[in-house]
Amino acid sequence: MEFPEWFLRWLVFGALGLSSCGAITLLWLLLRDSKAKKLW
Amino acid sequence: MNEFQALLPPHIGYVLLAVFGIAWVALGVWWGRLATSYEGYTVAGRNVGLAMGAATAVATWITSNTTMLAPQFALELGVWGMLAYATASFGLFAFAPMATRIRRLMPNGFTAVEFMRRRYGAWGGIPFLIISLFYALTWLISMAMAGGKLLEVLSSIPYEQGMTVVLTVCVLYTLFGGMYAVIGTDFIQSVIIMIGLIVVAVTVLLHVDMGQIHGSLSQQRPMLLSILFPAALMALFNNMLFGFGEIFHSNVWWSRAFAMRENVGGKAYLLGGLLWLPIPILAGFLGLAAPALGIGISQPDTVGPVVAAHLLGFGGAILVFIIVFCSLASSIDSLLAATADLLAHDVALPTVRRLGWEPSDMGKRWLAGGAVVLLGLVAWIVALPNISDLATVLFFAGPLVGSCIWPILGGLYFRRPGGLAAGLAMLLGSGLGLLAYFQIGWYVGSLVGAAVSGLVFGSIVWLFPQRYDFARLRQPPPRAGQRATQAPAADVGTGAGQLPVNPRQEGE
Repeated sequence: MEFPEWFLRWLVFGALGLSSCGAITLLWLLLRDSKAKKLW
Repeated sequence: MNEFQALLPPHIGYVLLAVFGIAWVALGVWWGRLATSYEGYTVAGRNVGLAMGAATAVATWITSNTTMLAPQFALELGVWGMLAYATASFGLFAFAPMATRIRRLMPNGFTAVEFMRRRYGAWGGIPFLIISLFYALTWLISMAMAGGKLLEVLSSIPYEQGMTVVLTVCVLYTLFGGMYAVIGTDFIQSVIIMIGLIVVAVTVLLHVDMGQIHGSLSQQRPMLLSILFPAALMALFNNMLFGFGEIFHSNVWWSRAFAMRENVGGKAYLLGGLLWLPIPILAGFLGLAAPALGIGISQPDTVGPVVAAHLLGFGGAILVFIIVFCSLASSIDSLLAATADLLAHDVALPTVRRLGWEPSDMGKRWLAGGAVVLLGLVAWIVALPNISDLATVLFFAGPLVGSCIWPILGGLYFRRPGGLAAGLAMLLGSGLGLLAYFQIGWYVGSLVGAAVSGLVFGSIVWLFPQRYDFARLRQPPPRAGQRATQAPAADVGTGAGQLPVNPRQEGE
C-alpha cells in the first residue's frame, strides 16, 4: 500500500498555503502590534 | 564537497556572513537600549506581544536540522519521514496551554529550573538542572558545529572560520540586546526562512509535476511512498515524544513564556506551531523531488541545498545560504540567552548569595551577560576540534528529556506529585531510556525514557500523594537564608519557603 498521488499533492500544496498565510499573518500582526504600541 | 563549491565561492560566503553578521549585531545593540534592567535583559520586560511571540516560537524551533535534516528524512524514510519531522510541532501546540499556566502561576518567574526547584525542592530541581544544562550545552555545541560544517559545504568557508563567525555574531547580539535582541532578530529570521522555503518549493513545482514525482518515487523508491514503513512509523512516535520532552523541559521555551504578556503565551505558541508545521514538509518535499529531477545525491544531508541550487542556480545557493544562516542564528541566540539565564539565575545567583553578596539589578544583568560569553566560549572550545561524534551526543538527550515530561506536567497541573516522585521518575526514566538507546536503538530512547518515567511518577504519586499549594509559586522567589521555617508535613521533598496559603485551589 502506498500513499496516493492526491495525498502528496494536498500535503505539499497545503504546506505551501499554510506557510504563505503564516508569513502574511506574521507581517499583519507586526503591523497591528506596532500601531497599537504593543510589540513589547 | 558538492555542486555548491562551484556555485558559491568563498568570497560570496564571506560577504553574506559580513552583511548579516553586522546587521544582527547592529540590531542587537539597537534593541539592547530597551534592556535597562535584569528583567528586561532576561525576559524582555514580560511584555512581548503576539507578533513577536509567535515569530520567536517559529524561529527558535527552526534549527539548521529542520532545513537540512527534513529533506534527508524524506529521502530516507519517505512521506512518513516528512510527517515524522512535522510532528515536532505538536510540542508547540501542547506547550500553548502550559505557557498560559506558567505565566499565571509564576508572574515573577525566570527559568524552568526555578519552577522545578520551587515546586519539587532539591529532589526535582537538581536532576532537572543537570538534564537542562546537558541538553542545552549539547544542542548549542551541535548547532555551532553544524554552522561550521554547513558554511563549509555551502561556500567552502573553512569550518573553523564559519563556526567562529556564526558563534561570535550570536554571542555579540545576545550579549548586547539580551532577550529583546533574540526575539527581535527571531522575527526577521522566521519571515526570511518561510519566504525562502516557499520560493524554493514553488520553483520545484514549476519544474516538475507532482504526478512525475509520485511516479518516479513509485518506480525507483517505492518504500518512500509506503504507508506501512515500520522504521518510519517508529521514528514518527519517537520524534513526537522527543519534541514534547524538548519543549516541555527546555528553558528556551519557558523563558519565552515568562517574557510574553499575560494571555499572549498560549496564542503565540499555538500560532507558532501552526506556522512551523509546514516547514519540514516543504523542506522534506525537496528530498522527495530529487529522484524525479534526476539529481544524484551522494550526501543525503545536503539534498535540500543541492535541489535548490540545481533549480535556482547561483541565486538558489545564496538563498539557501541565507536560510541556513538564519536557521542557525535563530536557534543559537535562543540557546545562549535561555541557558545563560539558567547559569545566572539558578547557579551563579544562589552561589554568590551563599557567599554573602546580594547583587544589584545591574550586577545580576552583568552575571547574565557574563554567562552568555562563557557559554559562547565553552561552545567554541568544544566545537573547534570538529569531532564528529560530538554531534551525536545530542541524541543521548532524547531519553533524558523524555523522562522530564511527566514531572513537568504533573507539577504544573496537579497538587499531588511531590519531589520524590519527580526526582526518581527523571533518574530512572533517564537511566533505562539510555539503556534502551544503546541496547535497542535511537528510535526507542525517548519512548522508553518517557514510559519508565511515567510509570515511576504515577506509582509514587499514587502511593505517597502530597498537597502542594500553588499560591507559593506566585510569590517572589525566596532569597538564600529564607528557608522554609514550617514545611508542611505532607510536602516531602519541597525545599520551597513556607508562604501564605491561598485558599483558592488549583489543579485536581
